[in-house]
Amino acid sequence: MKIKIIYLLMLVPLVARDIYFTRSGKVSFFSSTPIEDIEADNGQMTCVMNLETGEVSFRIPILGFSFKNGLMQEHFNENYMESDLYPNASFKGKINDWSNIELAETPQAVRLDGTMTIHGVSKEISEKGHISLKNDNIFGSSRFQVIVADYDIEIPKLLRENIAKVIDIDTELILKKK
Amino acid sequence: MIRYIVILFFLICMSYAQGDLLDLVSDNVAESNPVHATFKATRIVNSQSIEMPRPGTLEFMILHRFGSMSDGFYDLFGMDEAVIRFDLKYGLNDNVSFGAGRSSLNKVFDFFSKVKLLRQTSGQDATPFSLAIFTKFEIHTIDRDMDMIDRFTFDLQALIARKFNRSLSLQITPTFIHRNLVQTQKEPNDLISLGIGGRMKLTKRTSVNLDTFFPIGERPDSYTQGWGIGYDIDTGGHVFQLMITNAQGSYVSEYVEHARGQFEDLELYIGFNISRVFSL
Repeated sequence: MKIKIIYLLMLVPLVARDIYFTRSGKVSFFSSTPIEDIEADNGQMTCVMNLETGEVSFRIPILGFSFKNGLMQEHFNENYMESDLYPNASFKGKINDWSNIELAETPQAVRLDGTMTIHGVSKEISEKGHISLKNDNIFGSSRFQVIVADYDIEIPKLLRENIAKVIDIDTELILKKK
Repeated sequence: MIRYIVILFFLICMSYAQGDLLDLVSDNVAESNPVHATFKATRIVNSQSIEMPRPGTLEFMILHRFGSMSDGFYDLFGMDEAVIRFDLKYGLNDNVSFGAGRSSLNKVFDFFSKVKLLRQTSGQDATPFSLAIFTKFEIHTIDRDMDMIDRFTFDLQALIARKFNRSLSLQITPTFIHRNLVQTQKEPNDLISLGIGGRMKLTKRTSVNLDTFFPIGERPDSYTQGWGIGYDIDTGGHVFQLMITNAQGSYVSEYVEHARGQFEDLELYIGFNISRVFSL
């Protein structure tokens, strides 16, 4: 009997958690210079959110970014992101002031704090986003910027005019209850 | 006592619960991804590589070989002379490309296609290598008294390549060449050889490449095994390949079967390939 109680106790933390997730979050980036614009989309972002604690984690497979120009995609993987060594970009963090946030149908601004890892380099970030709850789905979106040099991504001299130093990132997520 | 155990279990559960959220949905199925960039360019040095122009892109390639280095400084190691080839190829989709080219040596026009049958993948159910079939039809239009039909040469190659890791890629290239006309009766019209090539990356954007073709079956006494050693520089927009080779022509039947240069006499050729890609 007692052993059963122990098992039950073990299950409590798992069952009680309000976990929302997606495996098909959308993320795109945009680099704009006077010479050329570079754009890529990825629909393979995995994101998990704990509704009780406001914790958020996501993972983006670098190979999942698709470019209009196949050669650019190859260079992106081979020369810049080195996706064979660093296959994923990831984030682990928490929504700021979560206990005072009441989810509603209208999107509300939140701040996300945590550690972003790109190209094997981790950095503390704090970015704005929007979150809403509708039909038991959580809708999240965020638009922020990444400084290429922060993550040890080298741009050769010859291409400095072609690739922006600051890249715009756009994410859009619909999380379903696990 | 039991109470302590319960508390202990509870703590264990708590610590488990604080693990990475992603672990909760991690699927153990590793996706299989196609392996990219086995080689930088569509050529290893002389030999065709498994790479082809990407879908919807037109690739213009200039293959330039200087004269023999044997005369040394007198003609600046062959730089006073040049043999040139240029070709234009188009990537129809991920698996099919075709094009046409012209070589100044023997004034050869050619038409060729590369069809990928198998693509190397990583992850679960990985395909260990890529396979493509390269076919080429050559017309030697040099001014000589011969029938049109005698000017034709057909080449068939299987390109079997594997990217072993981020630096090392190797390719085996079984080659079949049929010449409608041969110089002497003794020479066979059909020739088989086995090409071997590879690249070793030095940095993210540069690599050292090698290729050579081993003859299978008999060859005339004048035969020399063709080889090339090259250095690839990827500048972003295009790939620049520098090389030293013992074959001056850069079409199949020439660099596989008619390499002339001997290492001892320094009868070698400096050359370069440049490719430029246009998105249509």
